Amino acid sequence: MIEPSLALYGDAYARVDAHIQDLLDVTGVRYGLLVDRKGFVLSHKEALWAPRPPALDSVATLVASNAAATAALANMLGEHTFSEQIHQGENGTLYVESVGDQALLTLIFDASVPLGKVKVYARKTVVQLAAILDELKDIPEIQLGGDFSAGATALLDDLLG
Amino acid sequence: MSTINFAAREINCKIVYYGPGMSGKTTNLKQVFSKVPGHLRGEMVSLATEDERTLFFDFLPLDLGSVQGFKTRFHLYTVPGQVFYNASRKLILRGVDGIVFVADSAPNRLRANAESMRNLRENLAEHGINVRDVPIVLQVNKRDLPDALPTSMIRAVIDPRSELQLFEAMSDKGVGVFETLKTVSRLVLERLSQTK
Repeated sequence: MIEPSLALYGDAYARVDAHIQDLLDVTGVRYGLLVDRKGFVLSHKEALWAPRPPALDSVATLVASNAAATAALANMLGEHTFSEQIHQGENGTLYVESVGDQALLTLIFDASVPLGKVKVYARKTVVQLAAILDELKDIPEIQLGGDFSAGATALLDDLLG
Repeated sequence: MSTINFAAREINCKIVYYGPGMSGKTTNLKQVFSKVPGHLRGEMVSLATEDERTLFFDFLPLDLGSVQGFKTRFHLYTVPGQVFYNASRKLILRGVDGIVFVADSAPNRLRANAESMRNLRENLAEHGINVRDVPIVLQVNKRDLPDALPTSMIRAVIDPRSELQLFEAMSDKGVGVFETLKTVSRLVLERLSQTK
């Protein structure tokens, strides 16, 4: 297959969650996501005061696709990659930074939150997250077995007839 | 390979609809979106040009439900079919778990079908993947065209060894859409179960 499996286990997942929560607490960012390069949400935290988030599947897909397109542009311009993307609107900002080759830290925050502060703390968090994802490269592959396939196929029958 | 989040108990699989321009890839997704109950699907995202040609991709998340405690989800994508959007097509193939190749039954699109399949093989190869390593099903669409070519002729240029499961479809009427999706989904799940 094209991509390796990216599996988050309990302890690693808890540590990723904790680092993103710390980042939200110290910066005032509204939503923090760790998204894999295929566009799937690996972890999501939101500030207690934040309103209901937008459709996270769609956000993750668009962020990952945008990052892939940006990386292709970087290659065409002779760069290995452009490691961060910033999209600033009237009321808010979307900030995306690469976490190694596997994931993207995605932060959404209000215009009142200083971008420079977010960047400083985000870079510290990226280093911590990258170290965790590196550890995961050594975990054994997951075995789901035939029971999983049978159960999933039964659900497919229900969904698609 | 599918993304597995053991801690969150989630399994996510990516299925891509590939094929020449105007063959009906987006229509397939629109049919799925319109017929699957709202609580089992997310928002459909379409990045299209003003004349509704796919510019980058269409995206539709589908929830299968929980299997052995794992929330299992399919993310459906289309690629832009127009020849000049190859960079986008290549990007969308990243991390693909299964492919639906949507062929056009019109006689004047036979060459476009063949070129699109060749393009798929080339783009997979650029990711270091043999086309045989990914579950693929073939959907021959627009079977209601009065001058539709025989499926055997279309298969001969796309799949000369008859290796792919073939479904006849009229995607604008919803015919063959779910059968195709169900088969590729089943193949992806079987592959997932066989992971060593």
